[in-house]
Formats: sequence, C-alpha cells, structure tokens
Amino acid sequence: MQIRFPKFFRFGGLAFRYSLFFLAAILLIFFIAFVYSYGYSSVLLLEGAEKDATILTQQTIARFENVLQPAELVPQTLVNAMENPNISYNDILRISREFVVQDTVVFGSCLAFEPYGYDKDQYWYAPYIYEKGKNVSTRLLGSSSYDYFKMDWYRLPKLLHKPVWTEPYFDKGGGNALMCTYSIPFYKTVNGINTFAGVLTMDISLDAFERMVKEIKVYKSGYGFLVSREGMIITSPLMVMENKNILEIARDRKGHEMIKAVKAMLAGKTGFTSTDGLEAKNHPSFLSYAPVASTGWSFGIVFPADELLDDLFRFFKKILWIFLYSILALLLATTMITRRLTRPIIRLVEATKMIGQGDFHAKLPFRKSKDEIAQLTNAFGVMQDELRNYVVSLQETTMAKEKIESELHVAHTIQMGMLPRGFNTPSNWELYATLDPAKAVGGDLYDFFYLDPEHLCIAIGDVAGKGVPASLFMMVTRTLLRAKAIAGIPINEVMQSINHELCQDNPNQMFVTFFAGIVHLKTGEMEFCNAGHNYPYILGPGGDIRQIKAKGGLPLGVNETMSYRSEKFCFKPREILVLTTDGITDALNASNDFFGETKLASSLASMANKNTKGLTDSLIIELKRFSLGTEQADDITILALQYKNPSVTNERPMETIQLKLKNQLSELDQIAVNLETLAEKWNIPGKIVMEINLVLEELFTNVLFYAFDDKDEHDINLDFILIDVHQLQIRIEDNGKPFNLLEKKVNDVFDKPLEDRQIGGLGIHFVREMMNSVEYQRADNKNIVILTKNF
Amino acid sequence: MEINEQKTDQCVIIGITGRLDTTNYSILEKKLMELIDNHHDKILVECSKMDYVSSSGLRILLMALKKVTMAKGKFVLCGLQENIREIFEISGFTNIFEIYTTQDEALKVF
Repeated sequence: MQIRFPKFFRFGGLAFRYSLFFLAAILLIFFIAFVYSYGYSSVLLLEGAEKDATILTQQTIARFENVLQPAELVPQTLVNAMENPNISYNDILRISREFVVQDTVVFGSCLAFEPYGYDKDQYWYAPYIYEKGKNVSTRLLGSSSYDYFKMDWYRLPKLLHKPVWTEPYFDKGGGNALMCTYSIPFYKTVNGINTFAGVLTMDISLDAFERMVKEIKVYKSGYGFLVSREGMIITSPLMVMENKNILEIARDRKGHEMIKAVKAMLAGKTGFTSTDGLEAKNHPSFLSYAPVASTGWSFGIVFPADELLDDLFRFFKKILWIFLYSILALLLATTMITRRLTRPIIRLVEATKMIGQGDFHAKLPFRKSKDEIAQLTNAFGVMQDELRNYVVSLQETTMAKEKIESELHVAHTIQMGMLPRGFNTPSNWELYATLDPAKAVGGDLYDFFYLDPEHLCIAIGDVAGKGVPASLFMMVTRTLLRAKAIAGIPINEVMQSINHELCQDNPNQMFVTFFAGIVHLKTGEMEFCNAGHNYPYILGPGGDIRQIKAKGGLPLGVNETMSYRSEKFCFKPREILVLTTDGITDALNASNDFFGETKLASSLASMANKNTKGLTDSLIIELKRFSLGTEQADDITILALQYKNPSVTNERPMETIQLKLKNQLSELDQIAVNLETLAEKWNIPGKIVMEINLVLEELFTNVLFYAFDDKDEHDINLDFILIDVHQLQIRIEDNGKPFNLLEKKVNDVFDKPLEDRQIGGLGIHFVREMMNSVEYQRADNKNIVILTKNF
Repeated sequence: MEINEQKTDQCVIIGITGRLDTTNYSILEKKLMELIDNHHDKILVECSKMDYVSSSGLRILLMALKKVTMAKGKFVLCGLQENIREIFEISGFTNIFEIYTTQDEALKVF
C-alpha cells in the first residue's frame, strides 16, 4: 500500500522546500550564535566567578584579621606598657587575665621570662593563664620535661626580635584544642642596654577560624581552606585534608599547575587559577587564594569548574528547547504561508495540464491581486487565447493546404491525362511510354501523335525544375508541339518555332530539354531534332545497343534566335528506339551511386528480346530495385518505339488455335504435342517452342495445384494466337480461385540464396524471363493469363 | 523419359533420355534417392539426350545435389543441350551445379 501524505506536506513542493531552506539557515545561524554566546558567557561567568572568589577570599581574610588583631594588639600594648617602670609584671598578668576572660578567641596567655629573669632563684618562670572549663586558671610552665626555652613560641621571637605567630598545634595539656600562639618579645634595660627579657604569648583557639571557614559555601561543593605558613592545612570542611601538608598533597597529585599554585600560596601571594581538585584527582576546579597578612597563613577557596558552568549549561539547554519548539512552529507557519502563496500556482499547473491535453477552454484561477502569480496567470490567459486562435488558423491552413493538395492531385490527373495512353500503332510498329513523376506534378513529358496516317510524331522532354511551374511549362511545350508540328514542316523548324514561342514570355527563365522526331511509318525513316536532351538509344534484336549522339541545339526556351538542326535515322527491322529522361541515369541508390549511362545501356542490352512494354516495365523494376530505400528525386520517363517488320501489313488475318484441357497432369503431353504441330505450322524455332512449353507447363501445373480446392474436373483453356508473323499470343483461362502470379514479387526469387529459393518462385521467374510480356486479368470468375512471345 | 543407370568404379552414371517434366520427375526422384540412400554419393547425370526439363525436374536435381553435398559426395552434370543449358542459366543453376561438356571430362573429377 502506498502511504499518502496529507497535501499539506507536499515534500517536493515549493512551500516545503523554501521552509526547509529557510529553517536550515536559521538553524545554522542559531547554532553559531549559540556556540559563541555559550563560550562568551562561560568566559564572563569565569571572570565573575574570579571576582566573586577574590572578594570572598579577601572578606574572609578580613574577618580572620578582625579576630587576630586583638590577639596581636593587646600583647603589643602590654609589651609597650612594660617599658613603663610604673607597671609591674603582675599588672601585666592581671590585664592578660582580664583579656583571656573577655576575649572568646584568646584561650590563654603566658608571660615567660628568661632564665632567672624574674627570680634569681628560678631557672624557669612562666605564669600561664588559661581557660579551664568556665574558669580561668593559672599555672607555671617550665620544667625539665617542658623546657620552654626550646619551644618555637619562645625561641623564634627571641631570635627574630619581633612578634611571631607559631604554627598551629594541638594543645593536649592546655586547651585540648587546635591552637596558635602569638609570641611577642619584651625587653628590659640593663645598664642602659635594651636586653631581651622574655616573651608574652597569646594562645588563640582556632575553633573560630574553623567555624568561619566551614561557613563558606561556593556553589554546590566549593569550600574554603586555611593553610599555615609551613603548608599545613589548618582547617577545611573536608576531614581528609585536615592536618595535612598542602605541598605534599600537591606533589602527590603531580599536577604542575597545582604545585605552582600551592607554592604561590605559601609564598604569601594572591591569585586565581584553575587546578586539579585538592580533595580528589581529576576534578577540574578553580582556586582563589590570598595571604592572611598577620599570621603568614594563606586562605584559599576551591570550587569545581563544572558547577560554575552547571547553571549556564542548564540555561542554555532550556534555550535550546525553546528554540527547537519555535523552529517547529516556524516550519508550520512558513509552510502554511508559502502554501497559501503557491496554491494559485498549483491551480495554474492543473489548468495548464488541461490546456496541454487540448482543452483550450480550461478555466484559469482568478486572482484579484497584482502580484507576480497574477501576472503569470494573465500571461497564461493570453497564451491560451493565442493558442486557441492558432489552432483555429492551423485548422484553416490545413484545410487550405488539403485543398491545394487535392487540387495538385487534380493537376496531376490532368497532366497524366494529357499524356497519350492509347498506344495504337500500325502492326509493324510498337510503341510504349511511361512517366513516373517524382512529385505529384512533374516537369517531364512525352508525346506521340499522327501528323498524317503515314507520319508519327514522337517527343520526350524534361523541364528544368519540378512541381507546378515545371508542369505548366511542360504543358505549354506540349501544346506548342501539337500546334506547330504539321506534316511537311521539317522537325528542326518546328523546334525553332516552339523555341521562339517559349522565349517570348518566359519571366522565370525556364527551359526544357526536348527531343522530337517524325517517323515515316512505311520506310522506317525518322527525322529528328535534339534540343539538349539525353541521347537516344537504339537497341538491336541481338542485344546490341548504341546511342545516337544527336546535337540539334540548345534546350528550348534558352535563346530566342537559336536555329536548330535536324538529323535522320533509319530503323532496321526489330530495332527499338529508347528515349529516356535523366531521371533514370541520375537515380541514386542508398550508397549515393548514380544509375548512370553504362548501367542503362547494359540493362537495355539484356532486354532485347522484350517488347516495348516489357522493356519499359523491366527497366522501371530494375531502377526501383537499384534505388531501393531512397526517395525518387526526379521524374522518370521512358518512350520505346520498335520497328518490327517492314514487309508485314495489318491486312493479314490473325490465326488462332484453341486447346481445351482438363485439370489433369497427363494433359501436359497434350500441350507438348500440340506445340510441336503449331511450331511447324507457324515456323516457330525449337528453342522458342521449348521455352513456351516450359512456361506453359509451369502455368498449367500452377493452376492444377493451386486453383482448385475440390477434386472435381475443371476446364483449362489454352488459346494460341499468331498476332504477327513473329509474335505469338497465348491465353490461359481457368475458373479457379483468383491468383495473380504477377503480384508475386520478383524479389522473392532474387533476395534469397539460390539453394533456398522456392521452386514455385523459379517457375514464375521462368515465365517472366522467357516471355516478352505477361498480363493477368480476372474476368467472368476466370483467371486469364496473356503471354506474348516474339520469335 | 527413360533413365538408364551404369555403375562404374568411380561413380554411378545416370543417363536421361527425353523429357523431364512434371509428369515424370518422380521417377528420377525415386531413382536418385534410392542411390543416395544406398551410399552411392558419386553421381554423374548424363544429359546429352535430355531434350526438355521443367522446373519440377530442376527441383529434383537441386534436391539430389543438396543431399549428395551433405554426404560429402559429388553430383555432376554433363552434356547439356544448348536449350537446356539456357534454362539452367536463366534459373541461375549454372552457378551451383558442376556442369561439364562431355562425359569424359566429367569422369575426371571423380
């Protein structure tokens, strides 16, 4: 089953194609814009994220400093105060104690002295005030097991002569918390020299920092972390990282970027960089960091890259969907619009199809608007009208043409009718002529007529050109010949006279090659004049052929003052004069060879035993065979005149012998026997008798085998008529079914290789070859074959 | 028509006397086919006494020629009278038959 889409989706249609093209373009543009804006947005987003992270880092650090500053400022003030001789160490301790109590961050404070610095008897003296539960306790530090002189918090400020923040540490004995100590050296003047006397420390709990850091949330899983000067991660929401050295983590990861970033952090620099995840491998993240100035720590914020772009991605995904829905809507809309636009075109196409099928009244779609389609429709309307008019005028023209053609046909009939048909000659002469025009009306002519009972005028001519003008010229020529040729006037004078007349009024400069002769029927003499026509042939009874190179003058109609010369020729008994036009010699075959004079001469030579009709017919057949597959280019005209015997006159009665036969094979003997008798009586040579016998046998058996469907007895009549001393006519009559052996094509015999020829065909071939003429008639339900044989 | 048959070492000579026509061609046909069927495929037809032949007769000669040629034998004519020869010429048979003037000449080819 064929699936039919609704008409709306005419897939090959203009509407669909344009929509598709349009939408493809939109899609492409959108895609480029999408990619660009996505890229650009992510860059912007990254910039924003960097800024935000930096600000957050700085803010957090500022909060740290807020906590740290009192822890620095108070001891600084105290140490400065120590230089005042009015303030005792106990005052300092008292203030420190107050501070520890009040400040939530400061966990404890220690005033540690140099050996024997406070009391000459005491090597260690370091009162430590610290929070213990909700109370504040004091104890003295320093023992052999806790030699504070070797501790960093003491040693470093002493060495550096400046306040120092120690590395964070877990205070087990004191606060049981992660702590960090700010140690500040203090001095006393001994003998005018400012001498190091000890350090004042403030222990701060890092719990507060931990809280602050943990409060930081960047995107979904971004976090902050605090690193000590030495790289120890002081605090981070991720337990896995706490108390580890960040540099070691970085080195473990072998991330070049990360090591660089960590080193920058430890060097106290500020920065923003993309890096591998700190807490896990292959987790692309961004890192923002800045130093905590007072303590020398570094604070960092890490957030995964994908989370940064997550929102953006979601946003763009949504946009993409919206866009796709819009595209679909647009596709529908454009298809609908273009369909609406092209609908009149489709209607126009349907109307055009109807016009194409011949319905010139097909209604064209009406358009009110003035758009291009309306213009096209109008143009079609005009075309339709023109077509209608054209067809009408074509019909008229065709009718007119047909009329002309039928008139041409009439002209042809008239022309042919003008040519003499009755070949009545005295019995010692035989005349036959034929004209086969190339077009309906031709320029060839032949004519013959008696000037008086003893003089026959014959003529043949060829007007240059073909068609109606040539045929008219030809008719004029013939009429002139009939008018001018009068007994007693020499033929050259007749020609001169015709020439003169033709030249008188010849605007088209037409001319005619013309041969005319006056035959003296009793003597066989012919006086003739050739006005530029083909030379005539003389064919002797033995097959000898020759041309009379007759040159009487230029063709008629060329030169008014031309004088013509006549010549004479005397017929020998049984000689045939053959006049032709160049339609024969100029006939072409399929490979563009001319028939030519040589072939004409040799063809004629082989036809010496034929009568004039047989000769003419055979020549036409030969010509047709030669030019098989080509169109006849020129008129073909042949006139043949034979002088048979001077001594015979037509007073002699014709002798007839009749033979009645039955349709039996044995009757062949009858034919043979009767022929012998007949031959003796009429002086027919043996060879001729045999040929006649052969032909009669063929025809008789032919009738025997094919003419009768039943097995009854039938009559077959044979009439032998001696129509002339040397001419025998034989009539064969049977009442069988119609059969014209002449319709059997000669080609049947010749086209096939000898071995494949049918013997039946061979019989017919014998008949045609051996007789001078063969005719067939169907009359009174009888087949009548009339044979003529010259001897 | 009379037919006489003469078998030599080289071939079979068939002499035809009189008229070979539609009434009697079957006799010659029978004779020749008999010979060919019995593997006598070298045949000389002596025609000097044959004074008439019709297309039926020619058909038998053509048939015999075809059969003998197929059997790779030889079928030769000799001694054709002038009139008969002309009939052969008109029919085009002179081109397909081997024809010799005398019997002696013809015998040389076997």
